[in-house]
Amino acid sequence: MERKKLATIWLGGCSGCHMSFLDIDERILELASLADIVKSPVVDGKSLPPCDIALVEGSVTSDEHREELFHIRKQARILVSLGDCAITTNITGMRNYFRTADVMRNAYQDAASNDRVGNYPDDPQLLKLNDKVYPLHELVKVDYMIPGCPPHADTIFYVLSALLQDREPDLDRVKKIKYG
Amino acid sequence: MDTLKMQIDGQWLDVTPGMTILDACRTHGIHIPTLCHLDGLSDVGACRLCLVEIDGNHKLQPACTTKVADQLVVHTDTEKLRNYRRITTELFFAERNHVCAVCIANGHCELQQLGYSVGMDHVRYPYLFPECNVDASHEKFVMDHNRCIMCTRCVRACAEVEGAFNWDVMNRGFNVRIISDFNTPWGESTTCTSCGKCMHACPTGAIWPKEYAQGQLKKNPGMIGELMEKRNMKLT
Ligand code: SF4
Ligand code: SF4
Ligand code: FES
Repeated sequence: MERKKLATIWLGGCSGCHMSFLDIDERILELASLADIVKSPVVDGKSLPPCDIALVEGSVTSDEHREELFHIRKQARILVSLGDCAITTNITGMRNYFRTADVMRNAYQDAASNDRVGNYPDDPQLLKLNDKVYPLHELVKVDYMIPGCPPHADTIFYVLSALLQDREPDLDRVKKIKYG
Repeated sequence: MDTLKMQIDGQWLDVTPGMTILDACRTHGIHIPTLCHLDGLSDVGACRLCLVEIDGNHKLQPACTTKVADQLVVHTDTEKLRNYRRITTELFFAERNHVCAVCIANGHCELQQLGYSVGMDHVRYPYLFPECNVDASHEKFVMDHNRCIMCTRCVRACAEVEGAFNWDVMNRGFNVRIISDFNTPWGESTTCTSCGKCMHACPTGAIWPKEYAQGQLKKNPGMIGELMEKRNMKLT
């Protein structure tokens, strides 16, 4: 079998999904025998080259995430949503119940821990928050979903090893669907 | 008592007149998913999870509110029904805010279990993200409307078992909400007896006791049915 190109990407998440990915422990050697990792937050910051599988953690919270997600969709043959934030927006989407301006005022000015004169970070270099946080599949076609906060290492390994060996993963059939 | 003959999933069964299709299925060990049904409470057909196909009837019917009849032919597990159950389940998740990772009911939730059982790995509909109140004014319990699925089990447990009539339903559609008394804070209720039956009846993390933290919640919805059974016992 030809070696595959694997990427893991971190958008609006806490990196917990990536930590869980690392929890596959020595089984990572099995994956390494099937694939090269072409991009990952633990490797470097290059833009994503064409690849077979992209595991994407986190939701789309900003203009930067949106652009990156569209780029990933162009480059990756198979796009996998990794974790609850990517699939449901999870905690990152809790600001969707309110107006962004109110959320910012609450966080940077009115919070009890604040002196009430705080400014919000608005340097043009910084990413711009969307008014709404989106799950990945609301913006691009997603091929597989691995829910969980974080998904269990065994579940991530199951999906990856299936995809790397050209098999269809089916979390329902193996009873590995989990939220939270 | 007379019995009737009906067919469920290809099997002819003897059933008792007056029972619902759901009763008949449960008696014969046939599983149908339900959320608004709770043993001991009246049935209202609110959640639409228990829909079944009946030969000669082009409309799907809720098993919990449809009575058995002689020669009825019922299907409980068709492709069409599985599809509708998945859609219904997804709509529950899309309608309010279910953040399982930080929910008190995580791991002990009937809605979460339902998601697993219908194979829901994501929700195909846009989330509505409504702004919902969390009423923490009661001394012992919290009512979190983010997690409420409007099954009205709390309303019926309060009215039919405790007889307190604290809970009711306000508005329609997207704006529908469970209310305490006349839409006043739960802690100010003049009818609530603080018995906690609504909390046990509630299938999700919408009603919970204050002494619990995330993921610790364990409820005993079976207690409602047991109470009603004991109440109806004739001691001679
Ligand atoms: S009520 Fe159930 S489904 Fe909703 S967030 Fe809580 S655990 Fe998840
Ligand atoms: S609070 Fe719980 S029991 Fe009451 S309607 Fe909502 S989900 Fe059902
Ligand atoms: S259980 Fe029958 S409609 Fe809810």
